[in-house]
Amino acid sequence: MFRALALITSRQWQQHKLRLALTMLGIVLGVAVFFAVQTANITLVSSFQVTIEKLAGSATLQVTAGEAGFPQETLKTIRAIPGVVIAEPVIEVVARTSLPDQPNLLIMGLDTASDQKLHEDMFDEATLEISNPLAFLTKTDSIALSRAFAEQYGLKHNDLLPVFTQKGRQDFTVRGFFKPTGAGAVFGGNVAIVDVFAAQTAFGRGATFDRVDIKTDPNSSLDSIQQNLRERLPPGLHVERPSRRGEGIENATASMNLGLTIVSFLALTIGVFIIFNSFGISVNQRWKEIGILRSLGVGRSQVQQMFLGEAVVMGLLGSVIGIVVGFYLAKAATKVMSSIAAAIYGYVSTPQPPQFRWDYAATALGVGIFSSLLAAWLPARAASRLNPVLALHNIETQQRETGSGRVRFMIGLMLVISGVALTRFSTPRVGLMIQCLYAVAIQLGLILLLPAMIAISARVLRPVMGRLFGIEGVIGVDTMARAPRRTAATVGALMIGLSFVFANGAFIQSQKRALNRSLDRAVNTDLLVTTSEQVRSRTYHFTEEIAGRVAAVPGVKRAENLRVTAIPYGGDEVALLAHDMDAWLTRAPDVLDEGDTSTARSLTARGEGFVISRNFSTRWGVGLGDSLRLETPVGTLVRPVLGVLEYYHSEKGTIFMDREVYKEFWRDNMLDYILLTLNENVEPEAIKSQVQAAIAGEQQAFIYTHQEYKEWVTRLIDQFFTLTYLQMIVAILVAALGLINTLVISVSERRREIGVIRAIGGLRKQVRKMVLLEAVAMTMVGIAAGILSGVLNAYFLVRTAATIIAGFTLPLEFPFAMVFVAMPAVLMVALLAAWWPARRAVRLRVVEAIGYE
Amino acid sequence: MAPRDAIVSLKQVSKLFGVDGGVHALKCIDLEINLGERVAVMGPSGSGKSTLLNLICGLDVPTTGSITFDGFDLSKLSDDECTRLRREKIGMVFQTFNLLPTLSALENVSFPLRLQGQRSHVAEERARAMLERVGLKERNSHRPDELSGGERQRVALARALIFEPPLLLADEPTGNLDSATGEEILHLLDDLHRRLNMTIFLVTHNELAAAHCERLLILRDGQIVKDEFLERN
Repeated sequence: MFRALALITSRQWQQHKLRLALTMLGIVLGVAVFFAVQTANITLVSSFQVTIEKLAGSATLQVTAGEAGFPQETLKTIRAIPGVVIAEPVIEVVARTSLPDQPNLLIMGLDTASDQKLHEDMFDEATLEISNPLAFLTKTDSIALSRAFAEQYGLKHNDLLPVFTQKGRQDFTVRGFFKPTGAGAVFGGNVAIVDVFAAQTAFGRGATFDRVDIKTDPNSSLDSIQQNLRERLPPGLHVERPSRRGEGIENATASMNLGLTIVSFLALTIGVFIIFNSFGISVNQRWKEIGILRSLGVGRSQVQQMFLGEAVVMGLLGSVIGIVVGFYLAKAATKVMSSIAAAIYGYVSTPQPPQFRWDYAATALGVGIFSSLLAAWLPARAASRLNPVLALHNIETQQRETGSGRVRFMIGLMLVISGVALTRFSTPRVGLMIQCLYAVAIQLGLILLLPAMIAISARVLRPVMGRLFGIEGVIGVDTMARAPRRTAATVGALMIGLSFVFANGAFIQSQKRALNRSLDRAVNTDLLVTTSEQVRSRTYHFTEEIAGRVAAVPGVKRAENLRVTAIPYGGDEVALLAHDMDAWLTRAPDVLDEGDTSTARSLTARGEGFVISRNFSTRWGVGLGDSLRLETPVGTLVRPVLGVLEYYHSEKGTIFMDREVYKEFWRDNMLDYILLTLNENVEPEAIKSQVQAAIAGEQQAFIYTHQEYKEWVTRLIDQFFTLTYLQMIVAILVAALGLINTLVISVSERRREIGVIRAIGGLRKQVRKMVLLEAVAMTMVGIAAGILSGVLNAYFLVRTAATIIAGFTLPLEFPFAMVFVAMPAVLMVALLAAWWPARRAVRLRVVEAIGYE
Repeated sequence: MAPRDAIVSLKQVSKLFGVDGGVHALKCIDLEINLGERVAVMGPSGSGKSTLLNLICGLDVPTTGSITFDGFDLSKLSDDECTRLRREKIGMVFQTFNLLPTLSALENVSFPLRLQGQRSHVAEERARAMLERVGLKERNSHRPDELSGGERQRVALARALIFEPPLLLADEPTGNLDSATGEEILHLLDDLHRRLNMTIFLVTHNELAAAHCERLLILRDGQIVKDEFLERN
């Protein structure tokens, strides 16, 4: 029996190759996006891991203390711990060079006097070339390069390599080369070694190290040595295995990964709609065939199994192709994600080809087949419940569909209302999975409401389209409304695609607006001077001396120094902003959302308290008046929280403290920002050039007016959401695919009708117009549904997702401008998508169509 | 040019079908149909009746020979010109009614006028009058699935005649109706013919239907084997 049914299926596929191709394409795109995001995630995480492990060499433990590092005296303590065989200090910076195309170079400051046992793979005697070992050790401008980098830029022994350091451009002399393996292979091989003490001087590290790499005695217990180190070192220092540090970075970028994963599931959902659409129509087209099969003794369950079998095979084939396509998409996605990680989080990674993971492929395959089965379930059930007598009697009567049932409508309405209510009133503590169910309820409810929405829209559109486009407009709307199930599937795909675009657009815009408001309140100075074009530079900082010079520029009324760094907290990394609290809270008296500003100002300025961001408060459960305990490189720091404010610098949370306290506990007097308030009637542009002149030759400075800074932040947000924007485009393309699918099928279903129109005098161009206007009508309904769904999903994203992912409280801003831009663009895409089906309609042979059954 | 009172003229018309033209649907047909004439075409299945009808209205083109309609050589007209000719001068009625399912009776009837670009209120005014003529004044707003078979065929007739075409092509108009309803439709056709004086080309299997015409053509294997004028009661 199954072989016979498989024959029917295979003949159907041969006859309807286009429908088959479009359905498969829906699965392919959905699975490809899903698999690409998963693969890019793991590739990025792995590249962080690989980078850390390679940089660690054969170290078994590493001591770190956040970005500011820790005092170099600590090295003695570490070396004195039993079981520590080797302990080598490290400084690690990514510095710009002034070679052609200005490549960045990962410079590792190592103790060049040691025998480098931790990096033997990179420095084995056979391949290490040091022309003059004595000169390399004694001269502080010595630098060794990976051979790959040297060859790329034609650098030879004793050539000068210009590097931007803390003190401006500094020429290093090339005195050695090493193999581009091990640590030499990270960062695309753009790696250099200088002496750790030379690095301290060049990059303003003072008497601190970034890290100490430790090789332990293999005969001793690593755990006990680690425990011993933890006990002997100040609590602010972290003793971890290199692999655990990679996990830390994975945590830091988890929100980016989570966001992209959610988005990839949405792409898959749109794919499900396309499959549902295709199967629904396939059942309609094969009504008579099903009737014949039933009359020949094929049972209901066998009919259902025939359709579900088709779904499995299509799901399987589509998923396999999707996995292949996704793997290649992952290459591009990894690049984008790496650049985001570098720009936003300041992490260095080693470019890696996408890793093909069989477990991910199996998951993608499973997801693809399951989605295909899910989408085919209802049409298959409908096919099995078909009355064979009716089916055989007159196929035309079977093509009519029932409209929106009252029960369906009520369930849809209830789901939407409850989803919105839960989003509004539920606490974030219920967890991510439960909260995601709210969005699912809203979306499911809207899908159930679609037939009713289509019916209402048709009533509104019919006279409008009739007036605008004549009878062709009326026919277009009627055709759309006549098959609510088929139309609902297409409109549903459009709705989800557009909802995805609008909701994400709203989310991004809400973030931008919230961030702008926050910057207006907190960073409302005339000029802002920073060391880097990235959010965080782990390399370049201003010295207090430079800040003093900038403050002395005529026309500058007040200069506030700000250190922006990150410290470990609760197993994660939170942002720390060390400010002149008195100056800040005087300048921005309304910045606090909770707490008394004058109390906060006087106490925090004396180092007797902290201010925290609201998302820190939410994430870590610390509120106004609570004591906040921080582990610093020199001991524990406990202070009360005196103020809470909305601040969006880090999704892990931000702590504000007075810079004097920071300097005392972190031994770090570097600065990242200088905020300048100017005298009245002073032109900011004139001051900009004077500031540049004051710093010239030492440190590169990026100077922004308040407005320019906000624009720069906006660009960074756009960069962060690059992949989301790309996925928005994919969503629209997938939805357009659904539209093509529906229209092709609509045209083939209406062959006779189109034939009759032609027979009684409809011109080819009128038939074309009808098909195009049907697409327009569907798109209009899809846009309306997309806006409604977009608003509700945007509400969900800002209320829930922003809180889950980052703990941010965002006021909802709907991107109406985006809607106005999207409307004509989507209509254009719809018309392009409809062009080909319209062509098919026009080319229909009238005589055959009239006689068509 | 065809003679003055011939609205349709076929000269040596043949039609071949199939990949290698193996099926000879029509063979060297010569035929003239005069203005106001009612012609019944009968013949067994596959004899070429529907092919003949499709050729006359320009839906299909002959393999050889020429067809002239109302002075126009159809072979010299483009597809759009043929379509325009159809919507201005040829009404068509089908066995399966072929009404547009989403449109009401009124909208179906006014549809050809609206295709011609007439304003909806003007077209609907005329359609209302036409529906009254076919006895469906009260069924204006009903959709096809809310009408009986006879009513649907009346709507189809009204649609075909809304622009008062000189030629009505009817392909088995009573084929899907019971005999009483079929007879009603034929009487309606008689009545409309009397009032509008259009030419009717009626393809049918039904001798009773053919009896409503003045002329009978019998086709067999693509050839006219009988062409006679009937004596009407």
